[in-house]
Amino acid sequence: MNYPVWQLGFPGGLLIAAVAVLHVFISHFAVGGGAYLVLTERRAYAHNDLELLGYVKLHSKFFALLTVVLGAVTGVGIWFTIGLVSPEATSSLIHTFVWGWAIEWVFFFVEIAAALIYAYHWDTLDRKTHLIIGWIYFVAAWLSLVVINGIITYMLTPGRWLETRSFWDGFFNPTYWPSLWARTAMAAALAGMFGLVTAMRERSPLRERVVRWAGWWLVLGIAALLPLSRWYFHDFPAYSRAYFSGTYTALQHALRGGLACAAAALLLAVVFALLRPKMMNPVVVAVLLVAGFGVMGSGEYLREFSRYPYVINSYIYANDIRMAQVQSITANGVAGTSSWVDANAADPNAYGGQLFAMQCGSCHAVDGYRGMRRISRGWDAKFASELLLHMPVVRATMPPFVGDEHDRAALGSYLASLAPATPSGANEKELGQQVFAMHCAMCHSVGGRRRPLDFKGTDPDAIVSMVGSLHDMSPDMPSFSGTDAQRHALAVYLSNPSQ
Amino acid sequence: MPLPAPVWLLRTLLLLTFFLHVLFMNCLLGGTAIALVSMIRRKSSAFSAQLAGDLGRLLPSVFAFTITLGVAPLLFLQVMYGQFLYASSILIGVPWLAIIAMVIVAYYGVYIYSLHKQSGMTTAVLGLVVLLLAAIAFIYSNNFTLMLSPERWLEIYRSNAGGWNLNWSEPSLLPRYLHFMLSAFAVSGLGLLVLGLRQKAEDYRRWLIEQGSMLFTGATILNFGVGFWFLAKLPVATRLAFIGGNGFATALLGIGMLLPLAAIAHLIMAKAHKSPKRQLLIGIGCGVVTVAVMVVMRDILRNLALAPYFDPNQLPVAPQWGIIVIFVLLFVGGLATLYYMLRKVAIGARMQATAAEKLP
Repeated sequence: MNYPVWQLGFPGGLLIAAVAVLHVFISHFAVGGGAYLVLTERRAYAHNDLELLGYVKLHSKFFALLTVVLGAVTGVGIWFTIGLVSPEATSSLIHTFVWGWAIEWVFFFVEIAAALIYAYHWDTLDRKTHLIIGWIYFVAAWLSLVVINGIITYMLTPGRWLETRSFWDGFFNPTYWPSLWARTAMAAALAGMFGLVTAMRERSPLRERVVRWAGWWLVLGIAALLPLSRWYFHDFPAYSRAYFSGTYTALQHALRGGLACAAAALLLAVVFALLRPKMMNPVVVAVLLVAGFGVMGSGEYLREFSRYPYVINSYIYANDIRMAQVQSITANGVAGTSSWVDANAADPNAYGGQLFAMQCGSCHAVDGYRGMRRISRGWDAKFASELLLHMPVVRATMPPFVGDEHDRAALGSYLASLAPATPSGANEKELGQQVFAMHCAMCHSVGGRRRPLDFKGTDPDAIVSMVGSLHDMSPDMPSFSGTDAQRHALAVYLSNPSQ
Repeated sequence: MPLPAPVWLLRTLLLLTFFLHVLFMNCLLGGTAIALVSMIRRKSSAFSAQLAGDLGRLLPSVFAFTITLGVAPLLFLQVMYGQFLYASSILIGVPWLAIIAMVIVAYYGVYIYSLHKQSGMTTAVLGLVVLLLAAIAFIYSNNFTLMLSPERWLEIYRSNAGGWNLNWSEPSLLPRYLHFMLSAFAVSGLGLLVLGLRQKAEDYRRWLIEQGSMLFTGATILNFGVGFWFLAKLPVATRLAFIGGNGFATALLGIGMLLPLAAIAHLIMAKAHKSPKRQLLIGIGCGVVTVAVMVVMRDILRNLALAPYFDPNQLPVAPQWGIIVIFVLLFVGGLATLYYMLRKVAIGARMQATAAEKLP
């Protein structure tokens, strides 16, 4: 409400996801890869293995080029992006955790300096000092995860912070530890994956030695990740744990996809790295990287999804509206609260469009991914504005609509204007099916899992009268806004949907 | 929400880290441009070729420090001025976010230049890097002027809500940008002096010092003109504060004009001296202090511009002292670690050089 809305043409959340997934993929490598470098270097010294030492030198330069540039700058990129998409939440995070970030910044500059010295001063430093620099790097990198993990987990499970507003309560929140160890395990797995990337440049027999060594990192990392993730997800808030058993197909896909990627990575690593290292080749390494990206992406997606309808649990909604503001916005209206909307625009739908950008735009656009034109096809203004009263019931992941009656009517009529359509059909049943799609399918299914309606064999006239009093049956249902003919057609369809 | 630290502490950290960021950022911006010129001249001038090589070794680290030191002031700025910065950033969202992509490309460009043999290709890459850095600086100038003009936000937002804007309607935009760009060249002139003072080979050393002095002097003299243009384009109230209305601001402006003159005087005196090191160091010192003075003036300018809307001293404060203490301890520890690492590198490099000299 306090900020303009960046109207991108696609959900702002997608932009954050794109930048963030790239960043976490590299930054976790930056943590695990540090330990991988020093331990590989130590191994090379212990076995007096000069070939292995040559490999670590090569790998350290690849590591520095990837993490110091792309890893670090995409991290700044997340900051830029969240400030653009969720300024209210970003401001709140900064006010709560500025000193956490300041501490992370200390680790960040030590990390960057150590990475560059480690990668580019192999010949300048003696072995012992070089190893010490490597350890300094790893400890600083892991500590930066220790700090940032507190802020990320706080957003999902702020715990006692909600009452105390204390830094430490927010930081060491209920999912802090499982998340930290799960991320550390992922970091080890990624260290192995990227270790394989540079191993492909080596020749036999060094190549097999490195492949097996990196393979162990990958296998142990993923093997540890699975139970740790389970522990992590187990500590999610009760409301979002319910999402996992619910009917959110995107979430189910992400969960299964993530598990499949983890299983594939584990299997490929065991076979091609541990058992038959000679057979490891760039194609398998590429598949492993994609699988690793899948595991990471899935984990982050599940965490973000589980946070809906909030961006900071029980404090700020996903659309950047503070819960504490809801009452006053409802009383004063959006136009009376925010100077960024224009309630007097000439086009009657313009104001509704601005409300749409403000309250729906972080997850929805008009077209494309989660596009509302597809979803709102055939809605009329009355139905749409009534539906807005029940957003958290329509989907538990959605924040409530916030505004006064005028706002709700404006947004309703805007939504109705996106894809006006009148249900039609060759016969009454086809017509009924369309009426169902336009008026009921948001919340119900026939023969599906989402709040299934089973009126098979019921007398259509009984259904007709029921449809007339929906709002009395449940205060969460909007009243039916179609014509009598449509209502009858709907009843005919529901009484005999299968044929 | 209350500020998690008193304003004086946040402002000190903001200005201190920003000052360090500016020094490196100036050396990066000016340094890549100098490297580009050196690359173009490398066939006709052996010194230019040598300088291009030296800069190739230095610039990746300068880039790393620029970014690392840029993160901290951005953090502290957001605590105090977030409500202005977020709004103006959203208005110019597209170019603002494009900075990230441009930094990544420029950063890799610097590495390409650094890790490859000098060629037409690396010159072209370097040219692209210079363009990107100049564009990034321009976008920054746009955002940091737009955040000071809330009265123009709504109009810009109405004209394009998709973030395809720049702050063209700001009268001080161009002089401010040019003023800061010329400063970058002046400061990198000082960087050349530092590089020169560290050289053993007498000819190259003298050449670097000459080039550095010329660059600093030329850019600074031009900057007097651009500085007055900048001053003239400031809003009346702000301008008046700097020319008598506000004692502290006026004094800083005076010092900010005298110091670079003192720096130039010392650089000229160094020319006539047999052992110019002392004069040069004083000149460099004056130049660096000028940057610090300008950073404080820039902060005063920001507060004057925002005075009608906001006074950070009015914000509620609930300091998180316990964590602040931890931060300070870690910060000192971090600096000590940095010192330890750089010292080890210096010792190692010296031993390597001695070993190389002993070889027949």
